[in-house]
Amino acid sequence: MSTAPSVGVAPLASPGPGARPDPARRRKARRRSATRPWFLLSPALVVLGVLLLWPLARVVWLSFQDYGLQQLVSGETNFVGLANYREILGSDYLWTVVLPNTAGFAAVCVVATVGLGTMAAVFLNILKPTWRTICSTAVMVAWAVPAITGTYVWVWLFDPLNGLVATTLADLGVIEPGTVNWFTDRLGFYAIATLNVVHHGFPFVAITVLAALMTVPKELYEAAIVDGASSWQRFWTITVPILKPVFAVVTILSTIWDFKVFTQVYLMPGGNGGNSEVFNLGVWSYIQSFSQGKYGMGSAIAVLLTLILLVITLVYMRTLFKEEEL
Amino acid sequence: MKREGTLPRIGKGFGVAALLLFSLFPAYWMFSTALDTDAARRGASLLPTSLTWSHMARVLEDGGFGLYLRNSALIALGTVLLSALIALLAAVAVARFTFSFRKAVLVMILIVQMVPLEALVIPLFLQARNLQMLNSLIGLMIVYLALSLPFAIWMLRGFVAAVPVEIEEAAYMDGASWGRMFRSILLPLVAPGVVATSVFSFITAWNEFIFALTFLQDANKYTVAVGLQKFFGQNTADWGAVMAASTLITLPVIIFFVVVQRRLASGLSAGAVKG
Repeated sequence: MSTAPSVGVAPLASPGPGARPDPARRRKARRRSATRPWFLLSPALVVLGVLLLWPLARVVWLSFQDYGLQQLVSGETNFVGLANYREILGSDYLWTVVLPNTAGFAAVCVVATVGLGTMAAVFLNILKPTWRTICSTAVMVAWAVPAITGTYVWVWLFDPLNGLVATTLADLGVIEPGTVNWFTDRLGFYAIATLNVVHHGFPFVAITVLAALMTVPKELYEAAIVDGASSWQRFWTITVPILKPVFAVVTILSTIWDFKVFTQVYLMPGGNGGNSEVFNLGVWSYIQSFSQGKYGMGSAIAVLLTLILLVITLVYMRTLFKEEEL
Repeated sequence: MKREGTLPRIGKGFGVAALLLFSLFPAYWMFSTALDTDAARRGASLLPTSLTWSHMARVLEDGGFGLYLRNSALIALGTVLLSALIALLAAVAVARFTFSFRKAVLVMILIVQMVPLEALVIPLFLQARNLQMLNSLIGLMIVYLALSLPFAIWMLRGFVAAVPVEIEEAAYMDGASWGRMFRSILLPLVAPGVVATSVFSFITAWNEFIFALTFLQDANKYTVAVGLQKFFGQNTADWGAVMAASTLITLPVIIFFVVVQRRLASGLSAGAVKG
């Protein structure tokens, strides 16, 4: 699901009591306020360490092994160095199928999501409050539909036999009933996946950009109108510069999410192993591990995906740190 | 305010219609198929031929979906309670104290959110297998706790920071200890934030698919996300049942989202001064 780190501003708060008791008590209080944050943080750090950081180290460790069902049963290690990486990076399958399915798909989804989300936000911003509430609630509903059930709806809409789209096109005489299956074709498959991901992702962009738009002072626009600027000019010279930081954040977050789309591909016909033409990095990693039993190979693919996301995240952090004081 | 011309008004009306249609149509198609007597042969008819509860009844009784709903609700509830408690403590630490490595902790919390689940599911599967926790709801709940925690901390940090420090200081002036201040001042003030954060944790656990798919092998341990697959045959699907089950999964999430949307706005502004 699309959860987003909220971009709130936290001032560096001063700790502890404001009263000034005697020096001994103050020293004790200071020592306590030095250990207290760690005491408060420790449960969270333990959970994150054991369940996120340690597994990450472990997946890197596994990626240097030929770890299959035999090792799964015996628990032994079987190091092969960089062989998994060499096999992945040397295969045509990665460069002609999986990487385009991952990066190309993400690029199209990000452009469409941010474009559509911004259009929706600009539109919501000019509506009267009642209609704005109605429309933004509708947008929230699109956001709320879980990826699993949303994917099944799109599969049902494009069902080759009885789906809405096939039946409509057949009634119009565009296609012969029951002869076209979009899911078997790589491009058709990803067109539907794109529709699904954009529909699921544009609400986050729309709501975030709308919140930013509503902070733009009305006086700026009024001054521009007095100066005779057209609405198009006002959009490009006032709205866009003010929204730049928000655009950066929603674009990079969308990029991260669209690179790691899993459910929406895995649950479409053929996505769970039947049609290797449609795998992206995440699905490929999962299939290698849990359908083929090649956990080492699957780990190496997962590490590659993680590295790509790490680079995008570092760009994100630089953008974010420019905006706010942590 | 000058009156709008006819043309912009028609344009706006068209825009509203397009936005509502695009946003709501998949959800509408899901709900209406779930209630359609002749769901499988629905084709292009926009309205159901006639309404029936039979798909819902079939899903809940024969499909065992009631059990999956209960499993999912238990896991999500456990995740929410633990996550809210742990995240609140951590959020107070990063929002209210200055200490060395504070920035490093925040950066780590941001970075772990981007980790793809495919990279975690392999090592955690092996780990859970060794610990004999593969078919356990508690095992899954612990994983979801970890998945929901970074975002919960990040979000609650904003709510805690929004409470003015002066209120806390006033409590110390009155002789309150830190623990007393936390219980009587901070906790009530960030309560709306805890509710909003909890809703997101609930949704994370309720919607999660890849870990549930990998960890649960025993059909009576299924969560709703995995249970849905039961209604698919080799090449066919019982679309009435799939959409009925999907409706049961989707409705609570939609309700929570619309609730939290209000809470988020009011929670941030209705803060301190009332205290």
